[in-house]
Amino acid sequence: MQIRVGSGPPRFETAGHFLSGTHAQVDPVHVTVTEDNTALTWVDAQGETHLWPFPIIREVPDQSGRDILVLRNHYDSVQRLILPNRDIIPRLPNHAQVAPLANRGRLIAWAFAAVASVALIIGVLVPRMADQLALFIPPKGERALGETTLGQIRSALDDTGLAPIAICNQAAGQKALGLLTDTLTYHVDLPFELSVVVLDHPMVNAFALPGGYVVLFDGLINAAQTPQELAAVMAHEIGHVVSRDPTRHALRSAGSIGVLGLLFGDFAGGAAVLFLTERLINASYSQAAEERADIFAHELMRLAKIPPLALADMFRRLEQDDGGTPGILAHLSSHPQVRDRIRAAEQTQQVQPDFPVLDAQSWRALQQICAP
Amino acid sequence: MATASPDPLTTEFVGRRWPLLWLALRTGGLTVLTFGLYRFWMKTRLRRWYWSAIRPGGHPLEYVGDPFEKLLGFLIAVVFLAFYIGIVNLVLMFASFALFHGNVAAYALSFVGVMPLWFYARYRARRYVLARTRWRGLRFGLEPGAWGYAGRAMMHWLLTVFSLGLLLPRMTFALEKYRTDRTFFGTERFEQGGRWTMLYRAMRPLFVAAILLLVSITVFMTTNDPLPTILLGGLGGLLFVYGIVHYRVESLRLLTQEKRLSGVRLSLVASPMRVFWIMSIGYVLAVLSILLPGGILGYLVIALQFANEAPQASGIGLLRSLPHWVLITLSAMLYFSVFLIWSAVTHVFITLPTLRHYAQRLQVLHPQALSGIHQRPRDAAEQAEGFAEALDVGASL
Repeated sequence: MQIRVGSGPPRFETAGHFLSGTHAQVDPVHVTVTEDNTALTWVDAQGETHLWPFPIIREVPDQSGRDILVLRNHYDSVQRLILPNRDIIPRLPNHAQVAPLANRGRLIAWAFAAVASVALIIGVLVPRMADQLALFIPPKGERALGETTLGQIRSALDDTGLAPIAICNQAAGQKALGLLTDTLTYHVDLPFELSVVVLDHPMVNAFALPGGYVVLFDGLINAAQTPQELAAVMAHEIGHVVSRDPTRHALRSAGSIGVLGLLFGDFAGGAAVLFLTERLINASYSQAAEERADIFAHELMRLAKIPPLALADMFRRLEQDDGGTPGILAHLSSHPQVRDRIRAAEQTQQVQPDFPVLDAQSWRALQQICAP
Repeated sequence: MATASPDPLTTEFVGRRWPLLWLALRTGGLTVLTFGLYRFWMKTRLRRWYWSAIRPGGHPLEYVGDPFEKLLGFLIAVVFLAFYIGIVNLVLMFASFALFHGNVAAYALSFVGVMPLWFYARYRARRYVLARTRWRGLRFGLEPGAWGYAGRAMMHWLLTVFSLGLLLPRMTFALEKYRTDRTFFGTERFEQGGRWTMLYRAMRPLFVAAILLLVSITVFMTTNDPLPTILLGGLGGLLFVYGIVHYRVESLRLLTQEKRLSGVRLSLVASPMRVFWIMSIGYVLAVLSILLPGGILGYLVIALQFANEAPQASGIGLLRSLPHWVLITLSAMLYFSVFLIWSAVTHVFITLPTLRHYAQRLQVLHPQALSGIHQRPRDAAEQAEGFAEALDVGASL
């Protein structure tokens, strides 16, 4: 390259390579800037003169070799001009401009179609099918589903990485738990036998699983001030068992987890986003189911002569405790609705207890159920 | 034509580690910030970078894929696959518990059901990538044929499994021939020569490993002495892992030297030991690099779990004084940084050196025959690699 002293921009010329995009030859070319300093020009091996005005020249991005500059032309997708240095860049006003988006309409249409199809499948098809199929699953299969899920939960909650968290089975405590269960279920016909399991974990929570499993955490038993409060939570979970919510839930997540996995792919930590989204979907799903289980619990408690007010007491305690509830999931649970559920438990018809639901000794034994 | 053929074209590799690390971290970070949406741009940019680093005969490859067409292909795939995956998984889970009282059958059936789609997706992805790759201004291309590929792949897998791996070379050869015979550079078609039995030599370390493992089991059965079993078994296991790498590299070398493109031949003198070494060092470095963020993350998670039980004075007790949301945000950031670092480090210390090794050992023989090749028409490849993206087929590039 020569530098001309005097007025006007310096003259630009360099050796380069031209790819015509029609055959596999690489043409060595001599590239210059036109007299009026508006375009690059060269003659290729076929003797054809090329003229690329500066504004239509783009740089091919993300090139790893910084020893060359690859240029393309906005109006031709295959031709390339390769220069040995970047000296020309300051004269190319649009070199960094990206190619315009082709087919914008199609992209938007398919984006809508994808969102709609996922929404339809997760929001309508999968829940409907899960609701229907849950009615047809044989008791033995449902039981197996519950057992498998309980095993998964026990392993997932374990922090030591050594063994799944323990099931508490201190004998006197078990007996008291059996007594409480019998009192609650004496007046109703359950679709299958109930298995009440206590897990040795400080979380203040309880849930139902397919096949008649009601799972209580030790943390919940310790948080309850009276046996009535514990009975209230159990009545609520029995409500889930009776309406087969856990079975629907399990079938539902089998369908929706796969679809969500499809959407998020394997980008860094996609699994976490997947998990949280699934939680959110389930949280919203369970609102109606929770209300139904509450109404069932009120009825069950009235039959067992336990005032439904105990459920309201327990909710209040959970709400106060929530500040200290360990785990991220507590924040995703159905928070604002708790007030409504407390009000519902207070406003429903109350009963006067004939006798305490558990005597003091049994209650102490139940609270010690996880003691070694 | 004269018998003295011109010198073969050697391949330069010009990619350096630091720019790649920076590119991988930047695009990975954007992917996390956009909840995964930027991954189509990330993939495009990384490919552009890698392709441009490979210069057979001094001229770089160019990747001209477009992130928007990838996004479009992905959306199309989601519309079809969401239905399949959602409904099929649900029905399988139901059937599995109703009939077999367990979920193993569901997972197995679901896996078998997705396998043909998986091979289909791989072929489509390859077609897309080849259609968007250029060298010396000419496009590569792959003829349509994804379902034929999926059917053959399923059949060969079945044969391989039933023959206890003895027919693995037959599968490798047949599938590579299916792909290669449909691959074009410009107007010219590639052709895979050779026979499948030539790949048995690539299996030698695997055979030795299998013998060692069998011997170790026999020794244990007869003597009940654990020490020779552990020694022989450990050696056999290590050799087995090496054997897999050896087979991949060696079969690639053997297949490449039997490929023809009109008069052009290729030669790839890749070293299995070198690739094995790159992978070993790379994974050790990757694990070391995530130890620090991973360790802090583990500590935070435990802190969150036991926040109520720990005594105030301990480190965990001190963490408790921080607001809950600070801990959660911190954990989330660490969690994503672990994945980011892992991906960036494996790019820099595994993908880059492996690709460099292959590139530097690649030669184009009799390049004068290239002069007769012309451009091929553009393949719209409408679905891009959408199915591969949605099904996570696991192509690293």
